[in-house]
Amino acid sequence: MSAEANKHTFDTLVRPHFDRLYRLAFRLTGRKAEAEDLFQELLIKAFGKLDDLVTIEEPGSWLSRVMYNLFVDEQRRFARRRMHTVEEGFLPVGGVEGFAGTDNPERDHQRLEKLNQLDAALAQLSDEHRLVVLLHDTEGYKLDEIHTLIGIPIGTVKSRLHRARARLREILVESGTFS
Amino acid sequence: MHTSDTNDYADKRDQEILELLRDYPMSTADAGFFDQALARATHEGSRRQRNRWIMTGFGSAVAAGLVLWFVGGTFLATSELPQPDASIPGIAMTLEEPRTINLVFASATPLDSATLTVTLPDGIELAGFPGQREIAWQTSLVEGKNFLPLELIALTPAGGEVLARLEHDDRDRTFRLRIEVS
Repeated sequence: MSAEANKHTFDTLVRPHFDRLYRLAFRLTGRKAEAEDLFQELLIKAFGKLDDLVTIEEPGSWLSRVMYNLFVDEQRRFARRRMHTVEEGFLPVGGVEGFAGTDNPERDHQRLEKLNQLDAALAQLSDEHRLVVLLHDTEGYKLDEIHTLIGIPIGTVKSRLHRARARLREILVESGTFS
Repeated sequence: MHTSDTNDYADKRDQEILELLRDYPMSTADAGFFDQALARATHEGSRRQRNRWIMTGFGSAVAAGLVLWFVGGTFLATSELPQPDASIPGIAMTLEEPRTINLVFASATPLDSATLTVTLPDGIELAGFPGQREIAWQTSLVEGKNFLPLELIALTPAGGEVLARLEHDDRDRTFRLRIEVS
């Protein structure tokens, strides 16, 4: 196959999954710049495996797993790329700018406050728990999809989700967000 | 969209937590990002395949954006920190056009609790950290190659030197990257 044909084939195979993959990258890294780096690395790696990719029945799932493994590899290399000199705990897209408001400013304000508190509560969860609850409850992944992605038994996914929710509830009640 | 395989959120309060989680903000990719990422991937992927032999060499500049291999004669031979290249490598950037610089540190041994500090000249910023001249990571390095992508953007034409300082125990090494902006 010519270089142009390879590019076209690759584009056709991966483009339908871009949105979901970008969302996964952002949920994994929690930061836009790092999500973009991870997304870019995934595409470079996937293009290098084009011969495999064309034979795969569900390229979306395969690409997600490769991305997750890239993320884990990078974690091993560089712990978690948290910048300790930078204050953490802000909403990833800058609070109000990322919040779709309504025509009720008072209600919007209260909801934004709660989202900020949710953000702070999520930051207190372990990486494992935060990822499972974000994938399931925010992104709508099914348990078996998380099992396939992370490579842990479904029972473990369930127990992580249960514990993550319980801890989240506990933190939000303690902070006064909910009574 | 949401399939509730398990339902721990039984009461009203828990339903509200679930609704908040569903509204938890998501960053959106910049316009054109996907097309650029695809173009880089096919370009760099092809180049990597052509130059695969070079990836094991020292001083190479390949892979996404530009990779700087900070290695020295002690690579995989002693417990010393990676040595900086004697000559200062340089790159050219276009004003206000982000460029990803991939730093690769080759360490002779695993290093726990190392500190990596990146210092930026005036007019060069790290994406996501506007106005910050110095950014530090607490990190661990594995034996061999350790990879750190940095997305830089030049806001003025002044250019200058980016310093990456690696500290572990009482030892440190500083690596320099010269940036010219056009």
